[in-house]
Parts: sequence; C-alpha cells; structure tokens
Amino acid sequence: MKHQTKLTKVQEQENTAGRETTLKFASPEEALRYDAAQTTVPPRIAQRLKESLSRAAGPARPWWRNLLPK
Amino acid sequence: MNEPVIDGGAADGTAAGWASTVLGGLYAEHNRAIYYLALRLLGDPECAEDATHDVFLKAFKKLDQFRGQASMRTWLYRIAINHCQNLSKSWHARNVQSNAEEVVWEKAVARTESPLRILEAKELGQRIQMALDSLPGEYRLLLLLVADEELSYEEIGALVGQSTGAVRGKLHRARKAFTSLFEGAPEKVKS
Repeated sequence: MKHQTKLTKVQEQENTAGRETTLKFASPEEALRYDAAQTTVPPRIAQRLKESLSRAAGPARPWWRNLLPK
Repeated sequence: MNEPVIDGGAADGTAAGWASTVLGGLYAEHNRAIYYLALRLLGDPECAEDATHDVFLKAFKKLDQFRGQASMRTWLYRIAINHCQNLSKSWHARNVQSNAEEVVWEKAVARTESPLRILEAKELGQRIQMALDSLPGEYRLLLLLVADEELSYEEIGALVGQSTGAVRGKLHRARKAFTSLFEGAPEKVKS
C-alpha cells in the first residue's frame, strides 16, 4: 500500500442472538474495501467481452494492405 | 505496427483458455476494481455490468495506445471514470436536479473518531450506496479511488486533475461527510 491510512482490520462481533453480525470499520475506505471484496462480478461480463472481441477482430488484414504506406 | 490488439479469443474457446490470453489476464486482474467503481458510481448492477464490458472493450481496442506512463490500473480507471461520468451526466440530465453543494459537506459535523458500525453484512452495500449517492460526485470518486490500495495519492490526483495536497484536503472532508451520512442512515434498509 503506497499511501498511509489508519485502517485496522474489520471486526465482526456476534450479537447475543448469535445470528446477526455487527461489522465495525475504522474508516470509510475500510468499509468500501470490505464491500468491494464481498461484491461478485457477474461472470456474464467476461463472456460478453469475448464475444464482442471476436466480432471486433473481424476478418484478417489482407496481405496487400501491408504494401500500402501507413 | 499500430493495429489495435483485439484478438482476445482463446484458441480453444474455454474459460481457462481465455484467462491464459493477455486480455484475459488483464481482465482477471482488474475486473473487480473496475466493476466495483462502476457499481458505486452508477448505483445499478445492470448499468455497472454494461459499463464494465464497455470499459474493457474500449481499453482492449486501444491497448496499443497504452504508453506505460501510468499503471494499467490507473489507465483503466481513467477510461472507467470518463465512461461512468458520461453515463451519469446523460442520466442525471434526464432524471435528477442535484442540490448537493460542497459547502454543505464542508460544514458537516461527523463523529469521525468513532468506528462505522452496521448490523449484518447484507445491509452494507445498501448503506454504502445511500451514503455515496448523497455525496458530491467529487467526494464519492475520491473515496472510491483511495479505497483501492494499489493507487497512490499522486495517481489519484492525476486521475481527478488535482494536486496531492488538494486530494488530501478533500479526502478529509469526504471521510467526514461519508461517516456522517453512513451513521445517519436507517439501521434497516428496505430493499
């Protein structure tokens, strides 16, 4: 980590009911990092990206275009 | 040779094959950061999915223009920020009249010394989104960027067009405002 923060680890405390968890964060950044780590990236994006890249690639560059000036 | 590098397809078409390509590797390394930024800037999972797809597609098509002066993460963030800001501008122009003024947040009184507490992890995302949505866009972006431990203050400053000193000052106010909003949000958020 390049910049200084005063973060401490996320603390999780079980309450008396034993079912709910209290999360405690020392700073907004810590809460955001925890939230980001819990966030699932939809797997569909990778599939869509592959399909889009395949379409964008198109046909191979014709050999004769290599003879033209750039 | 200035042709864009867009051949991201794996020869065998499998997920493992894709991950072994250069583009697949870049996507694997940075997709969470870009998706999370888009999710919290746009506030909608479907919009964030579209934006993440568009950002990586744009980046892969322009990969030959990446000069290595900034890190790949910073370069992707720049594309993502521009993309999300364009989407937000068009959406807000149609739907929202913002009344968020920076001066309001400069006067925000927050319990910055106390930790942020929340019951149940499932509420966290909703509470964070509500707090971020109430912040001025500049503060929202700064907090999201500084939460990425791969970025230095210098890189954040370059991304938002501010000096390092200005970034530090604004971050201080952004943290106070966020904490105040987060703590003030209802304990149970209705879905």
